[in-house]
Amino acid sequence: MTHAIRAQELTKRFGKVTAVDRCTLEVPEGSVFALIGSNGAGKSTLIRMLLNIIEPTSGEADVLGMNCRRIAGDGFRRIAYVAEDQEQLDWMTVGELLNYCKPFYPDWDDALAAEMVRQLALPLDRRLKHLSRGMKMKAVLVSSLAYRPKLIVLDEPFGGLDPLVRDEFVESLIDRAPETTILISSHDLTEIETMATHVGFMEEGRLTFAEELSTLAARMREVEITFTEPPTLPSPWPPGWLNPQVAGVVLRFVETAFDPRQSPASIAERIPGAGRVDFRALPLRAMFLAMARAARRTAV
Amino acid sequence: MIPFRLTFQPGTPLYEQVVYAAKKALVSGQMRPGDTFPSVRELSRELKINPNTAHKVVAQLVQEGILEVLPGQGTVVAKRLEATGTERAALLGGVIEELVVEARKMGLSLEEVRAALDSQWRRMGRKG
Repeated sequence: MTHAIRAQELTKRFGKVTAVDRCTLEVPEGSVFALIGSNGAGKSTLIRMLLNIIEPTSGEADVLGMNCRRIAGDGFRRIAYVAEDQEQLDWMTVGELLNYCKPFYPDWDDALAAEMVRQLALPLDRRLKHLSRGMKMKAVLVSSLAYRPKLIVLDEPFGGLDPLVRDEFVESLIDRAPETTILISSHDLTEIETMATHVGFMEEGRLTFAEELSTLAARMREVEITFTEPPTLPSPWPPGWLNPQVAGVVLRFVETAFDPRQSPASIAERIPGAGRVDFRALPLRAMFLAMARAARRTAV
Repeated sequence: MIPFRLTFQPGTPLYEQVVYAAKKALVSGQMRPGDTFPSVRELSRELKINPNTAHKVVAQLVQEGILEVLPGQGTVVAKRLEATGTERAALLGGVIEELVVEARKMGLSLEEVRAALDSQWRRMGRKG
């Protein structure tokens, strides 16, 4: 098996609303896959279908070789799921929570749990309901990683966490990365940018693309062109050039298919009079914003 | 702690940026021959990079002879490594290329760039 997750045309409708629309996705084994997209894009719904928390309206998915509709008991022993709105056994202490979880998982690793408790400075004798949000999430993280799951799924794990806790969270995940596959949906792109190997972008229920972060980074460039006179823009505007903006004699847009050998010539050909042309690489956050803005514009 | 700092810039592969930062730490004396180099785990935790990326960094530096793997001791900075002036200058290559590109865009001549470099150098209080 080379893919931890493989979904085909996965779809979820709630009444007349299509929350996830024919989503086809492959998450390679061993990858750190970042699922990004605006609020309501369908990320959580997709994740919940993959983990058999809700049933797909149509389509299929394989998760660790299991049909997603049939993941149960044994299957969940190899998967960790950490979500923002998770139900918790609030009356338990941290220690009780860990002792409660342990018998469900044959691969539970006491030494790993103890190491994480120490690293994350978790108070074992405190009740979950008396803990801060960050501490509670850390307790959930330990209870989810201590059984060395083969797949770790995190749905917006950083929401409401302070920077220090986020840092600790990321470190704990990085420690597990060599032996597992991680699927993480998040808005906090800077937290995952250096860790992720793959990125998928969802918009309005559709997965608009999914690829290796390195190929995405190579093909996305912010282009800035300086003219001598205010420019006349090509019409129709090329669809692969996102968010054109003009300020005086400067034109700026995001090129989605950058090729160092061809892009300069293709720009010169389409925009006569282009003077100086600058190409700038983009951080993940800027790529996300460009695509989200472009998607919003075409939707209107 | 790891003995060098870096802020990631988009556009260059992460592992190349870490390799560069490590080399810079070496030629500037922040790491000395024989010093222990951070493990893959330390590198990935501190820099928040994927362990595969950290592994690639160490492998690259070992391949270039900058690091040595000593049994029982881990990875250390190679003993015989003496950075020459040329090697140090080579590390500046990227920065210099950028400077030249920017200067040409602005239509500056080599003389003008030299003059600007000279005055900046003097302002820093270093011997020319």
